[in-house]
Amino acid sequence: MEHYDVIVIGAGHAGLESANICEKYGLKTALISKNYSDLGKLSCNPSIGGVGKTHIASEVDILGGVICKIGDKSAIHYRVLNLSKGPAVWGVRAQIDRDLYAKNVQKYIKSSKIELIEDEAINILQTNKKIIGVECLYAGKIRSKVVILTTGTFLNGKIYFGNEVKEAGRIGNSSSKKLARFINKNFKTMRLKTGTPPRIYTQSIDYDILDPQPSENYGIFLSYFTKQNTNKNINCYITKTNNKTHKIIRDNLDKSAMYSGIIKSQGVRYCPSIEDKVTKFGDRNGHNIFLEPEGLNSDLVYPNGISNSLDKKIQLKFLRSIKGLEKCEVDQFGYAVEYDSVDPRELKNNFETKKIENFFLAGQINGTTGYEEAAGQGIYAGIHAVIKMKKVKFDNKVFERDNSYIGVLVDDLTKLGVTEPYRMFTSRAENRLKLRTDNSYERFAININRKIFNKTDYNLIYKNIDNEKKIISKLESLKYSPNDLMKKKIKVKKDGKIRNGFEVLKFLDPTTNNFKKFFNITINQKLLTKIYFDSKYEVFYERERKSYDQLNKNKKMNLTNIDFNKIPSLSREILEKLNKYKPVNLHDAGKISGITPSALFQIIKHKRNKGTKVA
Amino acid sequence: MFNTGTIYSNFTPLVKSPVIGYRISGEDVLLILKKLTKRNFSEEHSIMKLVELHNIDGTILDKCNVVYFKSPNSFTGEDVCEIFIHGSPLIASQLEQLFKDFNISGLRLAQKGEFSFRSVLNNKYSLKQAKAINLIINNESFSSLEYNKKILFEGDPVSGLAPLREDIVNLFSEITASIDFVDDEEFNFKKIIKKARDFFNNCNKLLHKNRTKIEQKNICKIMLIGPVNVGKSTLFNKIIDKDRAIVTEIKGTTRDILSNQIIDDGKKFEIFDTAGQRSKQGRIEKFGYKKAQKLSKEIDHFFVLKDKNTNKADLKQLFKDFYINKNFTMLETKSDQFSYNSKNIKINHNLNREDLFKRINLSSIYKRYIAHKNHKLEFNSSEIEFLERILEYESDILNERDILIIAQLMRNILDDFSYEFGYINNEDVYDRVFSNFCIGK
Repeated sequence: MEHYDVIVIGAGHAGLESANICEKYGLKTALISKNYSDLGKLSCNPSIGGVGKTHIASEVDILGGVICKIGDKSAIHYRVLNLSKGPAVWGVRAQIDRDLYAKNVQKYIKSSKIELIEDEAINILQTNKKIIGVECLYAGKIRSKVVILTTGTFLNGKIYFGNEVKEAGRIGNSSSKKLARFINKNFKTMRLKTGTPPRIYTQSIDYDILDPQPSENYGIFLSYFTKQNTNKNINCYITKTNNKTHKIIRDNLDKSAMYSGIIKSQGVRYCPSIEDKVTKFGDRNGHNIFLEPEGLNSDLVYPNGISNSLDKKIQLKFLRSIKGLEKCEVDQFGYAVEYDSVDPRELKNNFETKKIENFFLAGQINGTTGYEEAAGQGIYAGIHAVIKMKKVKFDNKVFERDNSYIGVLVDDLTKLGVTEPYRMFTSRAENRLKLRTDNSYERFAININRKIFNKTDYNLIYKNIDNEKKIISKLESLKYSPNDLMKKKIKVKKDGKIRNGFEVLKFLDPTTNNFKKFFNITINQKLLTKIYFDSKYEVFYERERKSYDQLNKNKKMNLTNIDFNKIPSLSREILEKLNKYKPVNLHDAGKISGITPSALFQIIKHKRNKGTKVA
Repeated sequence: MFNTGTIYSNFTPLVKSPVIGYRISGEDVLLILKKLTKRNFSEEHSIMKLVELHNIDGTILDKCNVVYFKSPNSFTGEDVCEIFIHGSPLIASQLEQLFKDFNISGLRLAQKGEFSFRSVLNNKYSLKQAKAINLIINNESFSSLEYNKKILFEGDPVSGLAPLREDIVNLFSEITASIDFVDDEEFNFKKIIKKARDFFNNCNKLLHKNRTKIEQKNICKIMLIGPVNVGKSTLFNKIIDKDRAIVTEIKGTTRDILSNQIIDDGKKFEIFDTAGQRSKQGRIEKFGYKKAQKLSKEIDHFFVLKDKNTNKADLKQLFKDFYINKNFTMLETKSDQFSYNSKNIKINHNLNREDLFKRINLSSIYKRYIAHKNHKLEFNSSEIEFLERILEYESDILNERDILIIAQLMRNILDDFSYEFGYINNEDVYDRVFSNFCIGK
């Protein structure tokens, strides 16, 4: 019988990152997938990145992940969102060629030491609540010290087209019922839903009458290490729903799985179906649809913005009411998916389940949505499997919520749980000004390991870090009095304070010419932008550090052993909330909506009383 | 502050008086009552009992009324009793000594505000209500008294700050959406800043309106007006009973505004003497007259003085110059020199102060003043402080071009607000974002 350090089940974004990082750190790693052809399949929209999403992806990238690098290799269109705002919220997004992506992933797996097992995992093997391996349909029992489960939406998946129901994880895959039984028996699960739009044949779309959205490449890529994109770049197109479309949808809501009441599970507020949009925002003249090509050689288009679960005939009818789509033909109709996910509060802070040792869960199975969120969890679980197995030195501080988006994700999931599929927004991070894609290499520098990067990449990181250090120390050696600055036409308070170059930087217009003229230092634009915003945001970093310290004090008040029902003075409403969210410390309790300061006082009081009686 | 134990304190001052009250709160109240009265009060909730208080040696300390409130139906939510001893500070000190001699562990003198604090802990009152109690006791104005009473009796939602919560959540959600969901809707930076400006303007307006109201103590302001040399200063001096205004025979000596406070029958008045009105005024006098005109907006009552020489045109001018409604009394002066046949009140400088006061009838003026002073307050002073804290962010936010910094500062406001009104977390903001904007693909 084969014996592995780690078995990863599922080869989506989470599974891939887990397997990759375990292998790079030298663990003997196997990856189980039902079909070889499933490797690197983008199950939903053909794009990677966006505001919040790029932020996680860039952290995965700098931790040694693959999503950004393979994404750039397979990209056929780029856009940078929020370019008019500060770089803290820039979100580069790439349209991906599905075939290229799958090919690149398969190529990568082949070139790595990851052992691919084409089989179906049907059971998780354990003794005394500790992992010993996996049982597969054909290969039987395979031993392993660690198992990372990343099966996405495959648990008890059901697909709905109107009133038609199918059991499947994703179109074309049977759902993993056996594995689901194991999960349901051992962990608290919940039912979530999501949707996907129809896929339209490119040739059937009249592009001539639609507005093109050209690719805009500003030299900003998904990966820190990408220097250029060699693929041909193509356009996306925009069209709009109209009143006729809305009427068709409104008249047929009884033929929608989500609206006729067949699906009862929680949907996603920020990923509304077209039925939702028409019902809630029916006063609008139209809702945008982004026609995203699925690849250079693909004959399919992904119409982003019209996910729905209407009857197939109705789907075709409303599509053909839309400008440019009058004669469209559909390959695959839109559908809603309902699936089980595990309550992420079943996980420890390292993504290992509380109940079974060395059993990790990552990705959509934890109640999240999105490729980048999955990838972030995959690499996080992988790294923590490595830490457990090999006791490698890894500074976990980078995974606290004031240091990374992965930290925010982990904290939110394991502390608060989810009520709908969790997606990352930059506003979830209290320390948003600091958590930027242009400084992830700096935030993670302490953990950048020679083993996980090739020589070129490793040298690139350190060349940049050294260069920045040099420039910063030069800047800090330059001193300016308010008078000096006045002479240079920079308005500052006449406070007599001597400022160094770094502190003065925020008053400049950040162009390389200006910088050279003012400080007599040569710099590239990328680095200048980064340090300019560091200079500008410094005062906020300081403030955030202080409030984070305060927060940590509250975090020390542990509430895990408190039975809130025994605090007689708490109102029923507050009690319900506390029991629902089960905050582990005072800070988390305070974050629950509607929890009042006086409720917190009462918890403190109860806790102290209890403490004195025991003593 | 989080100490436990049974606490006691006097709730009337410890001075010679008909009665001195003590309040005890905590789990040992019944035990203390048993020791004090040799009776069991556990079934005597909210019933006043006349009992003997016993010293440890069995002698009688006092014979007085005692009432017991069973938890949770008491002010603090704990067991509470109130003891009304005879108003001798000596008995009070004996009682406190007795509490010490009982030797009950945890029994101690309450710290300042501890009873209210416990009532908040036990959800008898919100933090806001407890603050209101304190403000009710320590305030001098009827309007703020009414407001704080409202908060106390009806709870947080009646606070004037409550509607601001909506504004803050809406503004913050729009800022959040404009950063995180650029793809889905169009957002305009200028519009957002305009909304922020409106929000702060609203805060400023509320603050200004309410601050002046709160600062108004209940002092009835009376202004003396009339033509020059009609005897305003004479009257002023008589009312304030001080030789303060310079009284001469030369016309126009009171060049500026003089004022003085008096208390009559427990009511506070502020009396303003003004420069007289005449067609030819000196520059300084003109200035004084103008100042008085301006001030007349805040005046609660006017004494309009005239004598036999005052013509109708002069009077008409006075009513035109000053903000006089129906809140005036016409006084005819120098009634020792002239005879009048009107129904107006007549005065002269020979009247003694007591007779003068009978004629001008200050107490009916005060009654009218209170009846008209029907200001409705929307905030109390602690809420005003909170508004001021929010407004500290105003210029930073409105002058900022970087929406991310604006968002960061708005989050601080949100956090401050959370502390007053219960936590607003990310989910609350997203709820608003997704109901106000069509987000997502």
